[in-house]
Amino acid sequence: MLESTFMTLMKLIIPLYIAAFVIYAVRAFKGPSIPDVILAVDCMSFDIAAFMAILAVYFKSTFLVSGAITLTLWAYLLDIYVAKHLARGEVGA
Amino acid sequence: MSEILFYIGAVMIIIGGICDLFGAIGLLRFPNFYVRLHAATVGTIGGAVVPLFGVALLALGADFLPHRYAIAGASFITGIIVLLAAPAGATALAYAAHKVKLVEWKPKVDHLAEVRGND
Repeated sequence: MLESTFMTLMKLIIPLYIAAFVIYAVRAFKGPSIPDVILAVDCMSFDIAAFMAILAVYFKSTFLVSGAITLTLWAYLLDIYVAKHLARGEVGA
Repeated sequence: MSEILFYIGAVMIIIGGICDLFGAIGLLRFPNFYVRLHAATVGTIGGAVVPLFGVALLALGADFLPHRYAIAGASFITGIIVLLAAPAGATALAYAAHKVKLVEWKPKVDHLAEVRGND
């Protein structure tokens, strides 16, 4: 009974997330400066991580959530490295 | 008890989807990088942290999942990581963009410049 409720919830949720991904991708391709592109890619990565956690419940698989943790940490690393490259002109350790 | 946790998680996932869509529309439509940071905050905190906590509650309440405690704990940890990492990354980007003057910025009202001009 709960499983059929969750399948109905997924039919409601998937179009919202797909529309958000498409709009983020439009901003990432169109962005006039470098920080806009990095900000759009950042938001898209965090939202893909949340969507992977929802898909882990949908497919009943645990391994998708470990991919979500790695994707989150990678997006934070991208932010910090690009900001340091813009501010200092180098990507030091 | 498990039905209550399941429905609270479902409501949090729906709120996260709506916040995600609104943040995306704001990121597309706002005119300036510093204004777009606000929409990005709506898209990350409201659109990623809230549904991750919702997935944690929903997986705790779902009886049909085989490894529900593993999924709940891992999504809760992912939510805490996003809650800590997203504001730090956005602040670093704003600092870099302001320091190098990459973004064109035309304020309508600048009280600090008026005060400094009168001194």
